[in-house]
Amino acid sequence: MQESTVQLSSPVAAAKPLGFGFAAAVLALAVTLLFVGYLMLAAPGKWFPDAKEITWSAADLALSRGSGKLGKNEWALSAPDATGTALLSVTTNFAARDFPVIAWNVDDLPETASAQLLWRTDYEPEKLQGVVLTMNAGHLLPVTMSGNSGWIGHVTGIALLIHGVSLSSVHIHGAAAKPSGIVEIARDRLREWTTFEGWTGASINTVVGGAESQDLPLPLLLAASVAITACGVWLYSRRRSERYPVTLAATIAGLVIVAWAVLDARWVSNLARQVEVTRERYAGKSWREKHLAAEDGALFKFIESARAVLPPTPVRVFVAADADYFRDRAAYHLYPQNVMYDPYYDRLPLPAQLHRGDWLLVYRRRSVQYDPSQQRLRWDGNEPVTATLKLVQEGGALFEIQ
Amino acid sequence: MAVIALVAGSILPWFVGTAIVLAMTRRAEIEAPGEVAWRVGTGYLVGVFAITLWMRSLSVMHVDFGVVSIGGPLFAIALALWIWKVRSSRAAIVAAARSAIDVLTARSLTGWHRWAWFGLMLWIAVRFALLLAEIVWRPLYPWDAWTQWATKTRVFFELKHLVPFGFADQWFASGGQMYFDASPTYPLTVPLLQVWTNIAYGQFDDSLMNLPWWQIAIALACVAYGALRRSGYGPLAALAGTWIVTSLPLENVHVALAGYADLPMATFYAAATIATVRALDTRSAGDAALALILLIACPTVKTPGIVWALTLLPAVVYTMAGKYGLRIVLAGFVVVLVVLGVLAQSEPVILGYRLHLDFAPDWTALGQSFFLLDNWHLLWYGVITVLVLGRRQLLAPGIAPLTLVVVAGALFLLLVFGFTNARGWVADQTTINRAVLHLAPLAALWALMVFGAWSRASGAATAGTAPTAAQAA
Repeated sequence: MQESTVQLSSPVAAAKPLGFGFAAAVLALAVTLLFVGYLMLAAPGKWFPDAKEITWSAADLALSRGSGKLGKNEWALSAPDATGTALLSVTTNFAARDFPVIAWNVDDLPETASAQLLWRTDYEPEKLQGVVLTMNAGHLLPVTMSGNSGWIGHVTGIALLIHGVSLSSVHIHGAAAKPSGIVEIARDRLREWTTFEGWTGASINTVVGGAESQDLPLPLLLAASVAITACGVWLYSRRRSERYPVTLAATIAGLVIVAWAVLDARWVSNLARQVEVTRERYAGKSWREKHLAAEDGALFKFIESARAVLPPTPVRVFVAADADYFRDRAAYHLYPQNVMYDPYYDRLPLPAQLHRGDWLLVYRRRSVQYDPSQQRLRWDGNEPVTATLKLVQEGGALFEIQ
Repeated sequence: MAVIALVAGSILPWFVGTAIVLAMTRRAEIEAPGEVAWRVGTGYLVGVFAITLWMRSLSVMHVDFGVVSIGGPLFAIALALWIWKVRSSRAAIVAAARSAIDVLTARSLTGWHRWAWFGLMLWIAVRFALLLAEIVWRPLYPWDAWTQWATKTRVFFELKHLVPFGFADQWFASGGQMYFDASPTYPLTVPLLQVWTNIAYGQFDDSLMNLPWWQIAIALACVAYGALRRSGYGPLAALAGTWIVTSLPLENVHVALAGYADLPMATFYAAATIATVRALDTRSAGDAALALILLIACPTVKTPGIVWALTLLPAVVYTMAGKYGLRIVLAGFVVVLVVLGVLAQSEPVILGYRLHLDFAPDWTALGQSFFLLDNWHLLWYGVITVLVLGRRQLLAPGIAPLTLVVVAGALFLLLVFGFTNARGWVADQTTINRAVLHLAPLAALWALMVFGAWSRASGAATAGTAPTAAQAA
């Protein structure tokens, strides 16, 4: 009797039901498969190329048009040439087919600028060829050259041509020729997801989730993986509910929590890195010392001096600065003085709008002239007013209107 | 000493608010699951509103701001309320406190549930510790914080009373009697909260004055936990939901880079909505009073708070109008959509105002913001999933009022960013995300509640043999 019972128990019926671990494993598999699929599609040439990435630092680049300064690790452009362009080039020698992707490491390109990759090859040495580069959030996206009829033979030189009215913010760190096999692309994506995203003026509006421009956003990959896994596990459980008795709701909840945890772990670790940066800069400092260590420390110091000169009872203080950042910050540091400034435009009131006893604070502002012998102050070509210079420090001055 | 005073000043809104909320609570309600968290969370918000209202009153009465003038009367009233409530409901309060401690220490959980509970608690604690460090160390950083909000804070703190702010022409005409900043008409709750923190601390400090943002985030966590528990979630599932609601990256940024009114707006709006839906359900005077206080507070936090408060109308109409409620609300939504459509297709001029609207949302930028960037983790993917899976629960009793509020909120955002020149802020990823932040915590709570309802319904459909997601813990 006992023997027949054993025989009736099939291996399937005796198997232990699968728990949520099964769905989690399928999720890991889905992420892997989707990522590998993406890599296969994204690789422009061989999946496993023999060539190694070639990189050029800023020092390797020659600035032949426009002006700029070579720093430790970067070219900081100051202005384009008379034609509105800046050109950085480097002599190269690599087989075009082995390096289908060229990446320029550039920061802070203004939205109004445009950029091109230029190159020469030994196949057509006289011909200078070019392709327009795509910008994203002030950066240049890597350009895939495979399929371009001019990307042939040996590349003897590449150059970055930037066209724009104002290029003073642009920083060029270097360039790279990439074989772009799937391992390298995978490394690039992982680097993009784990790149430290520190606080900037834009942080209050947007969290990117790593590098500023990303070819494969992690939320999309995880969401797609959760969707595929949930569907797959649901179909499996419909056929084999005894093997996977976890409800669809519990499965989805678990999968979402796992995917959410991955994203949140990245975010919390980024936050921890930011806290470390903040700690190094501000920890242990008093409120005043923090402001002296902040981005506008020099302005804060000047305003401290100005506050010492201004009367303790609030008076009307007009604030002038070319940059809205300095204008608005100066005003903020001056309160509770009764400040007046244009938050958005570099405009000063007409002289007739100022009265005796008003004050004018000027910080890094052009078109303000003062004649100390006559005590005459004028700005923006208006009629001068009588004023006393009460304070002058590097970049700033404080006047009392008479 | 200053730090002790700062901590005491930071505790005052909790003490005052919970006393007021508790005073409006019936004895029997206190012991229900999640009630302590709900009362503590909403209590902080009510406390914030009470303190800033009192500061407005002091200014009207020409009494200077000070620790005693602000804190003294409020502390005394709150203490009296606490004594009265403890005396009248001692057993219920003690039982609720014990129950809350049991929940916090996971006494009712066993096995991996217990580990998961402590794991989530640790995760949440690490996040809040990091956010606190950022607030304490970093001086006021984000742009609008020092052009629109803390400008008023500094003036009110130094002068010890409110003074009017006006636009440039008003400022020139006032002869020095008026102040100016980038947004002189913005409401005063947020600056007054910073003023109170500075007064408690004894000096102006534009790092520490932002501690209320951290506390608001904690209040939001408490509100979320309480709301989820009441909706039928078990303790662990509710904690997981709270972890989700408090982990939205843009929400965290608004704590770390404190100084904007968007997070307070989002928290007041979420709490006001949950409180209203709850009051419509219980018909209790205490719940109604709490909902009303939070609703009134919304426009005092940020100007769009008026519109956000109005998005609760559909829920009220739906509940109060009986069997015709849903039809009336749906008809209202249709009318709004038709009007928007007509205005997008025509150029009517009424009283000299051109009412034409251009429907040209920047779908690419919206898609990027919602689904590709990490502003919201997987929130909007989740919302879409819930809309599909939980479509039969969207208008189920208990869920329907919340659904209608979320739809009204989404319509408001669609109107602003689809039809007006604010679409420019979508393209450059600026104000769009901050405006969405007002709705995001509520949308997350709503999605979790619909999912919970769907989970229970699908669990019931399969004869309840397997644990449902919401009830698993």
